[in-house]
Amino acid sequence: MAKKKAFITGITGQDGSYLAELLLAKGYEVHGLVRRTSTFNRWRIDPLRRGEGGAAALHLHYGDLAEGSSLARLLARIQPEEVYHLAAQSHVRVSFDIPEYTTDIVATGTVRLLEAIREVGLRPRVYQAASSEMFGQVREVPQRETTPFHPRSPYACAKVHAYWITVNYREAYGLFACNGILFNHESPRRGENFVTRKISRAVARIAAGRQEKLELGNLEARRDWGYAREYVEAMWRMLQQPEPDDYVIATGETHSVREFLEVAFGHAGLDWRDHVVTDPRHYRPAEVDLLVGDAAKARERLGWTPRVRFAELARLMVEADRRWLEGPEAPEPLPS
Amino acid sequence: MPRAFITGLAGQDGSYLAELLLARGYEVHGTVRPTTDLATSRVAHLVRESTPAAGRLTVHRLDLNAPQGLRDLLEAVQPDEFYHLAAPSHVGQSFEQPEAACAAIGLGALRVLEAVRCQPRPPRLFLASSSEIFGRPARAPQDEETPLAPVTPYGCAMALVTHLARAWRLVHGLFACCGILYNHESPRRGEQFVTRKITRAAAAIKLGRQDTLELGNLEARRDWGDARDYVRAMWLALQAPRPGDYVVATGQTHAVRDVLEIAFGHLGLEWRRYVRTDPRLLRPAEPHTLVGNAARARSLLGWTPTPTFADLIREMTDADLAALRGAPAEAVPAR
Repeated sequence: MAKKKAFITGITGQDGSYLAELLLAKGYEVHGLVRRTSTFNRWRIDPLRRGEGGAAALHLHYGDLAEGSSLARLLARIQPEEVYHLAAQSHVRVSFDIPEYTTDIVATGTVRLLEAIREVGLRPRVYQAASSEMFGQVREVPQRETTPFHPRSPYACAKVHAYWITVNYREAYGLFACNGILFNHESPRRGENFVTRKISRAVARIAAGRQEKLELGNLEARRDWGYAREYVEAMWRMLQQPEPDDYVIATGETHSVREFLEVAFGHAGLDWRDHVVTDPRHYRPAEVDLLVGDAAKARERLGWTPRVRFAELARLMVEADRRWLEGPEAPEPLPS
Repeated sequence: MPRAFITGLAGQDGSYLAELLLARGYEVHGTVRPTTDLATSRVAHLVRESTPAAGRLTVHRLDLNAPQGLRDLLEAVQPDEFYHLAAPSHVGQSFEQPEAACAAIGLGALRVLEAVRCQPRPPRLFLASSSEIFGRPARAPQDEETPLAPVTPYGCAMALVTHLARAWRLVHGLFACCGILYNHESPRRGEQFVTRKITRAAAAIKLGRQDTLELGNLEARRDWGDARDYVRAMWLALQAPRPGDYVVATGQTHAVRDVLEIAFGHLGLEWRRYVRTDPRLLRPAEPHTLVGNAARARSLLGWTPTPTFADLIREMTDADLAALRGAPAEAVPAR
């Protein structure tokens, strides 16, 4: 039987790289969309490309969400059975600085992808990466699939658009399209400008005597933080269901940045109070309210539950950054 | 003299709003597309006139997709009030061109928000949103608190505008108001909209220039108001002490069938003899009944809609009849 083919936008990102690994392990042929940039940003998928098992089944293609015709051409050639749309300008605070770019890629980019799928005449199953940021000024705690959206950032406004347009293609054209409303999910592969990774990297460097101080924004900000490797499993499960639907993916627990500091620094035998300085420049112009997700629907329908919890996640990230500081080629630690 | 800036000057709403503002003593600057033919546009009468009021109108040709042009123009004009009305306004067409709907409506509004925010003295800003943001509403009538649930690309793009305006108000403290406008009609309504399509067809059939009219779902119900009332709500929104969003609606719904009865009946015609329903004209996803509760606009702005629905449709029918009588059979009427 021919291999199932999957197309991933954002394959070089945290989620894209874990998803590619998962799909390759399941025997898929994986095609990834990569943007041309002046510096390569492929460290997350380099191990896969170096041929540890799945290299022959992993294909990268140049293209851009800013250009719909490039997407249509690629889709026509690849003919994927599953499309995972993960690419975005995903940094919330940065979206205040570059709102037009963020909106073009996140909102219009999703329309371009869906329209390319429709134009080419394909009927793949589509996963669209929505975000807990869409809830913003929350009207109920915890948030579930029926909670109304009150986005507060350019990123979140654009994600709400991507969410609705995906529902629109499902209802108007019968496309098998799912929105995963993912709450924060972290890992050793998280971008270095996200707070958890910023902390885990700093802990590794401070423990090695290479850094003294760490500047952070609001330490009281609370999030529902899960482990990215588990969240991509939920994406795949959504596309294996008999009917398309939208799902909240979350741990149901919240913790503050301060708690993350305690676990992360503590794991290296350090006291965060000796190293952390807060700087209002890192505050978001508008903080979101208490974001905590209720993933009951995903548990019941997808059989999905998070296993790696907050403290283990923080320790895992510190562990990885300490190893990578020694040697960038070191394997990523796995949860116990 | 207060100074106002209008995008979409040559649209139905832009032209009425310009008239309202000129009558109130404003200096009015309005943008039209670089390709707009002013002589046949909805502001042709204002551009032609040499009254003192019309002398206070300046038309700018501007491509709103070029963000710097708007910034430069704002810098030069320094308006007190900014009304962003330019947008592709047809819901059905947004299924044909969803990318353009998102870019022109969503990104267009974002560029306006950013251009306004970057002014040393930002004007008060009105953004036209739409009842289509409610799509499949959880409750009826809808008000400013009703959760958004758009079911068309146009509705999705307008939801983006509404969310962006709220975020900019909250984050940047901008005096930005969204008018959640329900359908609003007039003799200047575009001919692809169902009310105008019907009144024009009734007039053409009356004059023996047409014999059939093809329509989609005759039972579709809408909350239809008068565009002249709706531009008054826009102006009132920017005179209020605080910025906010306002549902602008009549609170009454009528079916397409009712429009047919009134327009054809007004000319002594029986619509059933002429109307064919064409399933191709049905939208891929028809929204549920949209009916607005304008209590907030009523209490905070003192706004109320004036004429009745039947009067409006009859006025539109009369206007179409007069226009067709005055024009040769093949001529394209002014829009």
